[in-house]
Amino acid sequence: MLHMVDAVFLALSVLTIGSAIVALEIRSLIYGSIALMLTLSGIAGFFLLLDAPFVAMFQLSVYVGSIAVLILFTVMLVRRELIFNKIEDKRRRYAGIGLMLALMLGIGMIIIGSGMKSMETNSASVDYKKIGADFLTYYSPALIVMALILAASVVGALTLARREDITSDQRTD
Amino acid sequence: MSTIAPQFRLSRFIASLFDIIFWVLLIFSLVGLPIVFIILFYIKMPIVNGQMLTPYLAMTWMADPSRTLPIIKTLLHTTFFHVIAFPGFGFAALLAAATIFVERKFLAKIQLRVGPLYCGKIEGILQLMGDGLKLISKEIIIPAKADKPIFWVGPLLFVGTAGAFVSLIPVARGWVVANPSVGLLAVFATIGFFPIISVLTAWAANNKWTFIGGLRALHQMIAFEIPLILSLLSIVILTGTLNLSQIVESQQHYWWIVFAPISAIVFFICIIAELERIPFDLPEAESEIVAGWLTEFSGMMYGLIQLGTYLKLYAFAGLFTVLFLGGWNGPMVWPPFPADIVTHGITIGPITAKIPGLPLFDQDMLNGTLWFVIKTVGVILLILLPRGVFPRIRIDMLLHTGWYKLIGLAFINIFIALGLLYAGVLGPGGLIQ
Repeated sequence: MLHMVDAVFLALSVLTIGSAIVALEIRSLIYGSIALMLTLSGIAGFFLLLDAPFVAMFQLSVYVGSIAVLILFTVMLVRRELIFNKIEDKRRRYAGIGLMLALMLGIGMIIIGSGMKSMETNSASVDYKKIGADFLTYYSPALIVMALILAASVVGALTLARREDITSDQRTD
Repeated sequence: MSTIAPQFRLSRFIASLFDIIFWVLLIFSLVGLPIVFIILFYIKMPIVNGQMLTPYLAMTWMADPSRTLPIIKTLLHTTFFHVIAFPGFGFAALLAAATIFVERKFLAKIQLRVGPLYCGKIEGILQLMGDGLKLISKEIIIPAKADKPIFWVGPLLFVGTAGAFVSLIPVARGWVVANPSVGLLAVFATIGFFPIISVLTAWAANNKWTFIGGLRALHQMIAFEIPLILSLLSIVILTGTLNLSQIVESQQHYWWIVFAPISAIVFFICIIAELERIPFDLPEAESEIVAGWLTEFSGMMYGLIQLGTYLKLYAFAGLFTVLFLGGWNGPMVWPPFPADIVTHGITIGPITAKIPGLPLFDQDMLNGTLWFVIKTVGVILLILLPRGVFPRIRIDMLLHTGWYKLIGLAFINIFIALGLLYAGVLGPGGLIQ
């Protein structure tokens, strides 16, 4: 008996994996980034199926709303010869597919071996307030480290973007 | 002499009519009726007069008026009705259409013009209908070198995203299409799609004006999304919830604009920037880049974008009302439904008609809707107002406003909110509940 959730899961899997393959294989870079957006939205759908709307909404607003926009921006404004150096080769391709299969099999073995297969499926969904409380108490060192890394990357980006040779002659008031 | 039907015979004409009637009846009874019954078996039927309404009895509402109102009442609480009509698309589209007309007259009055005047006898009241007919009947022209799939899908996606935004706005208690526990985050996720759609359609049109406009839209929306999110954080801190209905419930005694005025101002400015309205209408600056990212759209494609823009305007105004102006809360001004109609029925002369199922809407919902609409219309008028007064600002001033001033101001109110919370004045367990 196919339940509604199973049907949605299957549809989402087809959407996510299919658009991921399209994102890799299609010639047009713009369509590739649109397919990447679909993949990321599909992952948000998986989070919704897992009763985690908080993570799903952040997946949408951060990955689709910001990172996909950044990729689109780069693809549209930079000439593609500058970013990509295309080397097409049948052997490389099959080697890549083989490597991916090996990697997925390995990860799958680890996950099955780790006891996560006895997952509880009927437990109540975690409240996002509890996630916040955990972040500020038990996981606060991780939060602080993440904040420091983000701050360092912002400072680094500002340093890279700063150019000494241009003096601003435009008013900013 | 007619050349359309030179071989016309009345007998054949009548025979063909009978032929058509025969086939319609045959197909309806063999295909149509079974489909109707299959659909009726899957719809959850209401209980009328203590009796479950089976699909076999479903058609009796046409003959028996006492069955009609309970069925309508059940229909009002289905998701279908919520999405199509009341808190969802129909209601928002109606307000959006009214906004377009009011905007034109309102701006005309501000600038001492007359505005629409000739279409319809009174003050050009039919202008909007005329514009709509014109847009529908106009040819849709696609540029030869445009990227056609993205160009076609763009307007539909824009309206769809605006509709998703509208579905999150609670209009009255319990009257909301989608009520997720993380409603405010869903709003952030939804408005994140708008810059993608504008820049993709702008790129797909293959025109320099659209592309410049699309890039401007992207810059502007990204720059103002951050202060928008930050300005709403103070409300989240004060209420301790992300659910929009609960945020409205928390404002029964005072509105959050009292404690978060700076957030309200920052949010209002961000609304204007996100909606690409004057003084932030750089993405469609008509005197510089034709019509910005909308340049290549014609006919109903432009109409769809326009509809999406005004749905977005309604949704943002509704969000402002929900977050800062108390949503549906307000004094009870709606008169109660006359009780003797419910108990005794309507008496006209010798006839007394007793109608079960009245009243159709409860007083609380009507009153809440009234207050929500009044506040939202006020906010919409405030959003329209700058267009009559201000010039367009330069893009460096826009970015400076977004990235420096508004983010700083938003942080000030976050600290005020935190102070109120830790001082024990507001929030869960605070002095003022």
